[in-house]
Amino acid sequence: MDWPVVWESRGILLHGFAVTLELSAIAIVGGGIVGLVVAVIRFARVPVVGPILRVYINIGRGTPLLMQLFFIFFGFPYFGINIDAFAAAVIALVAYTGAYVAEIVRSGLESVHRGQRDAALSLGLSFPQMMRRVVIPQAGIVALPPLVGLFIGVIKDTSLTTIIGYNELMNVSQSIVARAPNAIFTVYVVLAALYFIVCYPLSLLASRLERRALVGQQR
Amino acid sequence: MILDWNSVWSNLGMLVDGLGVTVQISILSFLGALPLSLVAALSRRSRWIPIRLVAATYVEIFRNTPALVQMFFIFFALPSFGIRLDAIVAGVVALALNIGAYMSEAMRAGIQSVPNGQIEAAASLGLNGRQTFTRVVFPQALRNVYPAIVNLLVATILASSLLSTIAVPELTGTATVINSRTLRTFEVFAVVTVMYVVLTNTASSLLDLLGRFFLPKERYA
Amino acid sequence: MTELEGDRAGSNGANRDIVVVSHVYKKFGATAVLRDVSMRVCTGEVVVIIGPSGSGKSTLLRSVNGLERIDAGEIWVDGIPVHRRKNLRQVRTRLGMIFQQFNLFPHLTALDNLTLAPNLVLKHSRTEANEEAMALLDRVGLKDKARAYPGQLSGGQQQRVAIARALAMKPAVMLFDEVTSALDPELVGEVLNVMRGLARDGMTMVVVTHEMAFARDVADRVVFMDAGVFVEEGPPGTIFTSPADPRTKQFLRRVLEK
Repeated sequence: MDWPVVWESRGILLHGFAVTLELSAIAIVGGGIVGLVVAVIRFARVPVVGPILRVYINIGRGTPLLMQLFFIFFGFPYFGINIDAFAAAVIALVAYTGAYVAEIVRSGLESVHRGQRDAALSLGLSFPQMMRRVVIPQAGIVALPPLVGLFIGVIKDTSLTTIIGYNELMNVSQSIVARAPNAIFTVYVVLAALYFIVCYPLSLLASRLERRALVGQQR
Repeated sequence: MILDWNSVWSNLGMLVDGLGVTVQISILSFLGALPLSLVAALSRRSRWIPIRLVAATYVEIFRNTPALVQMFFIFFALPSFGIRLDAIVAGVVALALNIGAYMSEAMRAGIQSVPNGQIEAAASLGLNGRQTFTRVVFPQALRNVYPAIVNLLVATILASSLLSTIAVPELTGTATVINSRTLRTFEVFAVVTVMYVVLTNTASSLLDLLGRFFLPKERYA
Repeated sequence: MTELEGDRAGSNGANRDIVVVSHVYKKFGATAVLRDVSMRVCTGEVVVIIGPSGSGKSTLLRSVNGLERIDAGEIWVDGIPVHRRKNLRQVRTRLGMIFQQFNLFPHLTALDNLTLAPNLVLKHSRTEANEEAMALLDRVGLKDKARAYPGQLSGGQQQRVAIARALAMKPAVMLFDEVTSALDPELVGEVLNVMRGLARDGMTMVVVTHEMAFARDVADRVVFMDAGVFVEEGPPGTIFTSPADPRTKQFLRRVLEK
């Protein structure tokens, strides 16, 4: 075990950790908004746009994130748009997360009984009012546990951005190992531990939310 | 700037090879994960605490750390302990362990979702523990867990792309190689995108069909 | 001016045809569910529709509300053409609908269930809506359950809240779609009593039900519907004691034997 090496590098490790968390937050919020909008548009059966979004979801969920990262990182310059690792990482992660969020939210929306929509419409509510006050609140309870699970995955997936050179936690760890190859085991243990202390509590939260959602479903 | 598809067509053979490697990796990892996950799931329900603890530790560590870290650890860090694995072996092992952890949670949920009444009924009929599990609980658990298993196969296929980072010539890695050779980024990645989408959709549709055939939904009288 | 356009003008008298259904057809896939159905409901009238399951009674009610699209014919509510599907929100504020499955919003208290629509659609203020809601809950006998959630209420209580919720929008007509069919027998009475009260107070009601005693007591007019057609209609006295059509006779015999 080479703790001194790790200890010396604690500054940049923590900085990398912060960068990881920051990138995760951007991806989660961005992807969350994109996914929610896409899901509602598809739920409302909007013509033309709806099916196009379906293609987007299929690609986002049917291809690896790593490939999407490469596609965007190498693809933008191909069309003359210069793009740095951070921008590519954000675009890829938001698009990827958005596709998954859209599916989870859609499933949640469809789990709300038709009668709820009938009742809301019969009372004279408009479609936006119905969605905002009746459907989405109920869908949210069902969708929340898988969404939390997805977000945990996003935090871990940010590690892939090291491959395109983005300087987050994984990247920092690799540079430490490059300088002190003998410490590789220790560095990786610490690396894993850092991800673990963020993800594990969240996964406990997701389990708790899932139990609560199941109780709510027994009418 | 015109799109030139020829550079892709001339490298199609290489891409197909890459696809083949992807499929191999996915199948091997998936088949490795299956028994592992069942053992882990049953262990987490065991009466003996040490067994429960070991299984729980495995599952929680592999679910809450990135797969890339796990793979790099097995490929780059284990050699310090004398365990030197080929890239593809290290990759498959890492994937199997990773997917296995998620799969074991799905299996555990599937088993738990079989109502207690079933076990009570089996006991009243005189079945012992093993018979109850194999004839009553497991078939129902399997039916419950099947969709999650199909999703995990898709996840395995997508995760196989990670092996490109340790120089295994699967589909994503091949795409980057061809890209650097021909510089026809959009064309190459567009084709690879289609290949992945077709692969994942085909795999999941096939398994869905299989499931409908072998595990039909119960018909109520 | 044709007869229909006259109705369209939504005449001045208090006694007017507030719901007009004219030669309506509807198919679900290959099956004809409504076949040349016509009906007029006058203000203050209580019309009860009876008939076997699958006869199209629910579909008819849902079509009046615009929840189902009709294939041919016209439906007018208070002078507004429902079949053109342009002003459905306006139509729905004139109508109040009560469902078999209650459809209360489970994430809102009883009180909030009542105030949601008046607040959002009629633009009533919070206080105004709350006051009116409490009065309505009192009217259906559930003032003390204002802060309860639907999950904490019995079926009969939920249905009464649903009625109060519809009343909060001050509808001109109320549509009842088999509202007691999903209730345990001992809870049916409390809901029917509320409905009786509404009829007494002059509410225009179209009720689809299997409760024959209720129909006999409260209806101004009973309609027997079978296989998508109006077979027979008339005052309850006539329909129940001396129905003209054999199909009506057969149905009543089966139902009243229970």
